Formats: sequence, C-alpha cells, structure tokens
Amino acid sequence: MVLSGLRADIRRAVSAALAIVLGVSFLAATLVVGDTMRGGFADAFAAGNDGVSVVVRSDTRLGDDDRALDLGTVPVALAERIESVDGVATAALHIEARAQILDPSGRAIGGDGPPTIATNWIDDPRLSPWELAEGRAPSGAGEVVIDRSSARQAGYSVGDTATVRTPDPLTVTVVGIATFAGEDSQGPVTHTLFDTATAQDLFLTDRTVATAIRVAAEPGIEESVTAERTAPLLGPGHEVITGTELSTEQLAELEADFIGFFQTMLLAFAGVGMVVATLTIHNTFAIIVAQRSRQSALLRAVGASRRQVLGTVVAEASAVGIVASAVGVTAGIGLAALATWGMDAAGFGLPGSLRWSLTSLALAWSVGVAATLAAAVLPAVHAARVAPLAAIRGLSIDRSESSRSRQVAGAVLALTSAGALAVTAVSDDVSLTVAGVGVLAALAATIVAGPVLARPIASALGWPVARVRGRSGDLARRNAVRNPRRTASTASSLMVGVAVVVFFATTAHSLTAYIDRTVDAQFAGDLVIEQDGFSGPGLSSTLAPRLDDLPETSLVVPLGVGVMRTGDRVHYPTVTYPGALGSLVDLGPTQGDLTQVDTGGIAVSQSLAEEEGWAVGDDIAVRIGQSDVDLRIAAVFGARDLIGDLVVAADMWDLHGSPAPTRVVLLEGAPGVDLDRARDAVATVASAEAAPPPLDRGEYVDRVSGEIDQLISVMVALLAVAVLIAVLGIGNTLSLAVHERTRELGLLRAVGMARSTVRAMVRWESVIVASFGTVLGVGIGTIGAWAAVRAFGSAEAIDISLVVPLAAFAVIAGLGATAGVVAALRPARRAARTEVLEAMATS
Amino acid sequence: MNPIASETTRPGTPIGPAPSSPVPPLPPAARVVRATKRYGHGPTAVDALREVDLDVPTSQMTAIMGPSGSGKSTLMHCLAGLDSLTSGSVYVGEAELGTLSDRALTRLRRDQIGFVFQAFNLVPTLSAGENMTLPLDLAGRRPDRDWVDHVVEVCGLADRLDHRPSELSGGQQQRVAVARALASRPAVVFADEPTGNLDSRSGGAILDLLRSAVDGESQTVVMVTHDAIAAARADSVRFLADGRIVDQLNDPTTELVLDRMMRLGA
Repeated sequence: MVLSGLRADIRRAVSAALAIVLGVSFLAATLVVGDTMRGGFADAFAAGNDGVSVVVRSDTRLGDDDRALDLGTVPVALAERIESVDGVATAALHIEARAQILDPSGRAIGGDGPPTIATNWIDDPRLSPWELAEGRAPSGAGEVVIDRSSARQAGYSVGDTATVRTPDPLTVTVVGIATFAGEDSQGPVTHTLFDTATAQDLFLTDRTVATAIRVAAEPGIEESVTAERTAPLLGPGHEVITGTELSTEQLAELEADFIGFFQTMLLAFAGVGMVVATLTIHNTFAIIVAQRSRQSALLRAVGASRRQVLGTVVAEASAVGIVASAVGVTAGIGLAALATWGMDAAGFGLPGSLRWSLTSLALAWSVGVAATLAAAVLPAVHAARVAPLAAIRGLSIDRSESSRSRQVAGAVLALTSAGALAVTAVSDDVSLTVAGVGVLAALAATIVAGPVLARPIASALGWPVARVRGRSGDLARRNAVRNPRRTASTASSLMVGVAVVVFFATTAHSLTAYIDRTVDAQFAGDLVIEQDGFSGPGLSSTLAPRLDDLPETSLVVPLGVGVMRTGDRVHYPTVTYPGALGSLVDLGPTQGDLTQVDTGGIAVSQSLAEEEGWAVGDDIAVRIGQSDVDLRIAAVFGARDLIGDLVVAADMWDLHGSPAPTRVVLLEGAPGVDLDRARDAVATVASAEAAPPPLDRGEYVDRVSGEIDQLISVMVALLAVAVLIAVLGIGNTLSLAVHERTRELGLLRAVGMARSTVRAMVRWESVIVASFGTVLGVGIGTIGAWAAVRAFGSAEAIDISLVVPLAAFAVIAGLGATAGVVAALRPARRAARTEVLEAMATS
Repeated sequence: MNPIASETTRPGTPIGPAPSSPVPPLPPAARVVRATKRYGHGPTAVDALREVDLDVPTSQMTAIMGPSGSGKSTLMHCLAGLDSLTSGSVYVGEAELGTLSDRALTRLRRDQIGFVFQAFNLVPTLSAGENMTLPLDLAGRRPDRDWVDHVVEVCGLADRLDHRPSELSGGQQQRVAVARALASRPAVVFADEPTGNLDSRSGGAILDLLRSAVDGESQTVVMVTHDAIAAARADSVRFLADGRIVDQLNDPTTELVLDRMMRLGA
C-alpha cells in the first residue's frame, strides 16, 4: 500500500512536472535559437568585414528590403585618393543592390525575408569574405559568381546558364561558386556577384559612383587611425566607419529587422506556454494538497507547525521545479537543434553551429523554477491552514465555488474590463493600452470568476450529453461540475491556449475580410501581377511598358515603392503614373487633381495631410536620394488602403535617380477582349520578363489571405505546445479525480455500470471540462481580436471591423472536445479498470 | 471455466419436487457447487473457501456468519459476481457466473442482483431518488412506477428523494441503499454487514425493511453479518469456519446464534 502510494505520488509528480518541462523547453529553445542567430551572424558579419579597416559610404541610407532601399553612393574617384593615404594598403569599390537568382524552372531562390544581395566581386582577399570554391571570378557582362547555398538550392554548377532578376531579367553564366568566410553563404542571405563595372552598369547611374569604398590598412595600423586619416578626404554627405563598427551596425540592423521581432514573437508564445504550464501545475498541486489534507492534518496534530507543513509543500514544489526545469532546459537545447535543422531544411539556414549562453539557460531554468514555486504557493498555504482536527474528522475536499474575496475580485476585474472595452468601443482614437487592459482584465476576470461560471456553463454544455447518454452522461455532467473550482482551474489552461489561437484566427479573418472588401471596392482593374516573396528586387522595369503595348490591355499601371524623407520622417511613396492610377484604383473622395501630380507634384492621403497639417496647394520639402526637392501637393485623397499615404510620379522619381522597384502592376483588359485571352497574353509577357503570372481579383485576394493564413498556421503550430500542456493538465486532474473517486467507481461497477460505460463517463466529463475551457477561450479570444481590430483600424486609419470566422470556431470547438477525449485516454482507462472489491476496500 | 464443476453438476435444475409437499419447493435463487477460492500461489497460498456447497433458498433470508477470516465475505462476493472462484461453480438463477464475460457479469449484477454494502453505498452526485433507480437507469429500463413508489413508501423515503447523500443520516443512506437493491426486483439481494455502521435503532429499521421484503414481496436476501441479533432475523443461518460451511441453523434466535458462535470460536 505504502509503496503503491509512493509510486502514485511519483507518477503524479512526473505528469505534473511534464507541463513545466514542456514550457521550459520551449522557452529555452527560443533563447538558444536567438543565441545561435546572434552568435552566428555576429561571426558572419565579423568574418565578412575581417580585413576591412574602414568603409567610406554615403551618410544617407534609408529604407528596408521589403519596400525600397536607398544606400546612397560615393564617387569612384575618392578611392584613388584614399589609397594614397598613409597607412592604407588598398581600397576597393563596393557595390550593393538587390538581385534574385532563378532556378532552371523559373522559381526564385530566397527572397522570403532575408536580403537577396547583388554585389561586385572584389579580388583582394583582405577586402572580400568571398572565396571561390569552384570556377573563377566574373569578368564582363553576363558572368556571375553565386554563393554555394544558392547554387545548391537552384541546382547550378559552374558553366550553367541562369536567369537573374536585377530586377530586369538578365541571362548570365555561372562562372564560379563561392563561399562566404568558409560557410556556404551568409546565413539565409543569397548573393549574386558581378564584376565591378557590370554591377555599376546594372545597379548604379554610371561608373563614376559606387555604394561604398572598402579600405584595407597596412599591418599594425589601427582602424581608428585609418578612419581619422581618411575623414578629411570625404565630401559632404559621406561618412567613414570602421570595420568593427560596420559589423556592429549590421548586427544591430538584423536585430531590429528580424531577430528582435522573431524572438519576441517566439517568446510571446513561450510565455503563453509558461502561463498555461503554471496554471496546470498549480491545479495539480492544489489537488494533491487537498487529497493529502488528512496527512497534513495529522502532521499538524502531532505537533508540526504551519510553517513546517508549508515547508514540506514548498520543498516538494522546489524539487519538482528544479528537476523539471533542468530537464526542460536540456530538452530545449535539443528542440533548438531541431528548429535550426528545420530552418536549414527550409532554405533558411543560420550561419554557424548551435550555441547558447549560460545566461539564456539560467534564465529559462529560473523561470521554470519560479513558475513552479508560484504555482505551489496557494496550495501550500491551504495545506498549512488545515486544522489538526481534520485528521480525525475526515473532510470533504469540495470547496465552495465563490468565496467573497473571489466574487469581489472577479467583479472588480470584470468592471475594469467592461470600462476599458466600452472606451475602446466608442472612442475614435483607440488607445492600444486601454484596449489591452480591457482584454487582459477580461481574461483575469474569467480566471478569477471561473469557479462561479463553471457550474452554469459546464452544466449547459453537459446537457446534451446527459440527454443522449442517459444516466452515465448525466453522471459525467455532474462530475464535471461537482467541484467548480477545480473544473475552472483545469479548464483555464486550455482557455488561455484557445483564447490565443482564437485571437489570431479572428484577427486574421477580419484582416482578410477587410482586404477582400477593399480590393473589391477600390480596385477597378482586371488583373494584378505582384512580386513573389517579400525581399526580392521587385518586378522588371520593362514589364509594364511591354504589357502596355499588348492589344489585349487598355491600361497598365506599375506601382513602385520609393523611399524618401520629409524632415526626419521616412516615407515610402508609391511611385507610379498618378493620372492613370485613378482609373484603376478608387482613391475615395479627392480634393485637387491627381493628374496634376507631375514632376513637381505629390498626392497625399487625407489622414497624413491632417496629421501634418498639409492642404492642396502647399509646397513640401522632401529629400530623395541626395537631392532636396520641393513638391506641391496636387491632390489629397481619402482611400489609402491600397496605395498608402503618398503618391508621386515615376517621371519625377527618375529625375533623382533613387531606386523605386516596381512591386505591383495593375492591368485592365482592352474593351471587348475576353479576360482569359488578355490573361494569356499577359502571362506570356510576364514569363518572358521573369515575373510571376497575373492574378485576377479573386486570386489576388486569395493570395493575400493565403499569406495571412500561412502566418496564422505557424502561430497556431507554435501554440500547439500550450494546448498540449493544457491537455496534459486536464488528463492529470482527471487522473487525480479518478483516484479520488475509486470507491464511487467501484460502487457503480457493482450496481451494473459496464467498463465501457465507465470509460465513456470519464471521457464525457473530460469533454465537458475541455469544452468549458474552449468556450471561455473562444469568448476571450474574440474579445481580444475585436479590441485588436479596433486598435489597428484606428492606428492605421483604415475601416476594418471584426469578422468572426465561424468555420474556424467550429473546428476549434471540435478540437477542444477532441482535446478532452485525448486528455481522458489514460484516466478513463484507469477508471474502467477499477475492480469492485479493491475499490470498496479502499479506505 | 471449471471442467470438474461443469461435468459433475446439472446447472440450475431443481432437485425435484418432494411428493408429499403441498407447495412445490422453488429452485434455489443462487447456489455454489464445490466452491474453492485460493489466494496466492505455492506454499503461501491461502484457501478462503474449500469446496463449499450452498443453495440460497428462494424467497427467504439467509444469513452467513462466521469469525473473521472464515471466508464469509469471499463467499458472498463470489455469489454476487464480484469475485471469481478458483474452482467450482456459482449459479444465479440459471446462469453460471464462471462462464460469463465481464460485460455479461456486469449486466447480471445490474439486472439480477441487488447490493447493500456496509457503507459508501451511494453516488454522492445523485439524489436519493436517483441513487435508488441507478441500476434501472444504467440498464435503460423504465422503472415500474407503482413498485418504486411502494419501495419508497416502505423505506420511508418519500420526503427524502431529492436529498443528496451528504444531506442524509447514516441510517437514511442505508435505507436508500436497501431501496435501490429492491427497486429493480433482483433475483437476490446481497447485503454485506448492512447494519455494521449503524446504531441499533437504525440497524433494526434496515433489518425490518429486508425482512418485510422477504415476507411481503418474496424477495430472496443473503446477508453477511457478525451480529447475532441481525442473523436471528433470517430464516436460516449458515456458519462458516476455515472456508467451510460447518453448521446450519433454521429459524434462529439470538440465543441459538450466539451459542453456535461461541462453539465455533471455542
């Protein structure tokens, strides 16, 4: 008996600890992946700039890979002058732009976030991280060297002919395959290397400029010394930074653009997992303590102080926390290895090998221990409060569902939430903070008031079960609510997981519906060609003119994105033919005249105009590339959804020479031409221009929503850990409940309940509890999505409203119920195994 | 499952009517034949029952007595389909329990057998009334309303039907248990120390109930007890010692039962 009790305790501790192990491993994996990225890229950047003493470049560097990038230029002549500086060994021109390699089937390599870099081959090994693995350096137009990772992905070897989007399609011969500081590439970044003159011809205005000048110093000359000596040669608008500074800057940019966001997102999911794990383990401790209350009372009766009883529970929690967190950290390293391997397989390889800092491991471990202890505090206090007399009396473990303090706290939270949400509902300028407080307070109120809600809601959910399954269904329903507090805390972990899933699903659905509606209402054309991926070089500049020449099209409008500044503010104007734009895109109520947006004009959205205090006829000073330009506001338009806040003329932009890659081409078929015919003609040109095929309106909307759905699937997959922990928690609680009800189960078996019915009864109880959690989660998640949509619409000045994804809700409800079935597998089997005589003999 | 038993017994057939009897004697409601129950293996094995033969007379109350460890509980558990024999056979009505699957055995307990345990007889989440009809509800059978009302009446539970077990006294809980055992009109009611946890007045009321079910409704009852006063309410008492039936007493009185027990103990 003693031994089996001990075994049961160990099993309980293990299954409780599993929640912590899972939560901590996710957290640790996130931190380790972050460490691996930072460390790997830090090394890659340092290796890339190894031997570079200083870099001279333009001080105007704007934009990002997703929209437009303006790196500025420096005159080529400066390189010779720098070479004559004392202590400088050599200087080389550096050209950087964007270009994308296509594989033989026309599929683009990379471009889904990481840059697709085009650069020039530098022969001097001090100034170049590149080393030829095969072949030779590029020479003349039509020759490239590519990184080994891209070569592998595209299946190219030396001598192959390839197409490169520059963005205009260019047929080249791969003359060499190179490695970046010993690695296949610089992480997931793709590289196409041309000779310097070709790169200048392709990407810069002429051969008198370069993106930067890389400088190597004589041995023993400090970077700072080179920088000081070089500085006097620079003209206005140029800057010099050391190689070390450049590496630091590159890492900081990557951190800001990607790692920070990536890790914050993962940490948020790890956080959800930890919250769920804490709720789960809290529940387990509470039940174990309740079941052991007689033992605690006995301890108290034989003279143990409250502090000592408290101590035993806390000690047990510490032991569980310490061990489980250590296991979790170890598992986390394994998980991180798996994740980086998966990223590598998905063409997103990180530079370097897996690495982790002690800080990260210690952090994950401490969070696990702290969460376990936090989860154990209340149960420990309860254990210590047990009166010594309870040992003799024997006591019921059911506690009332609604203590006064619980009611008061629940009411206060509910009121806070209601207030904040009411403000969010009526306010024109929604505060994200207020909306967030409203949602979090609603979540907290639900957790606090859960025991009060459990009886009515779970009863209602169990009603059909009782109707269909007769007495055993009825028993399942009653068991589900016999201890509302336990039901609520069991369900709360699933609730949190479901709430987050529903939040994302509903927000995404609302966003998709908004896009659908907007495209429907504001896009008047027939076909769209959009670049594939986020961070490619854009669409060929000759695509739109060639499409315009087709007899099957009547109107073709390319939309480019540029980058410019007004004062300190960076803008990404749409660079297009504003007069024609108006025919394909409904810009809403417009003051002024869009056709007047010419080489001296600009069109501004209503919301930006209001923000900046601009009106039609005003002149505004903008900086485009290295020129200061005064533009007159020719039009103010209402609908910014499709084209953003600023529209400028392509003719104006070309005058200033800053790149504005075409991202989208809008088309209208010629009158009387069958859309399918127009489409075929357009597709043929698109293919020749190495552009993706055209999409009609429906396909375009589907594509955008497809991207959103994909993002949501990733998030839901990440939340699977939280849901898994919640399922474990429900299973654990149920096991404890089954254990507690052994005698009752024995009685039911004695008076004629079949084993299968016992199993079904436990399963249905689990389904009811899980459904309760799911229902609350759907409610909270929907409230959260509503608040997020309000806040987003307000911040972006767009007319977006909540659209509930009913089909997704049905799936989630089904999955919630399934989670109940899965959670019940083990406890139901155990319950069904109950032997009448053993059960009745249990004391 | 037991080759010896199945070869040497005629399942469920009556011994045959005695020609002189004015009323033909009923076949036994349940019986065990050469029942042996062994716990453990090898040299440490313990025989709780050794080749016990017992007929449970229909429409009578039979008490089983014996000192602790005599095997009386084991005998009852085997009779009631809660435990299985090592060898020998058990019949309830026509059915030989050893040949039944777990499912069939469960159904038999539900439909043919009523239970009154010493304690913890009731499902805490069900009201008294719901506990009473639990076996019927599990069977999906419609309770015979008149009969159930009658049982409620007899057991004095009319104003307690909506109460939860936690709201009832020990005596009331046992009355609900008896009512449940009677409600489905089983072939046999097995009562395992039904008064063991009760004061003498409540215990007496339970015995009255069982007695009246036998007298008024021809219910067959088997009761395991160590209480001579309780045993004296039975129609006959079987005494067990060391896994064997060593004695039988018809029309017992408290004194006679005590006397036999004394001799067994000596």
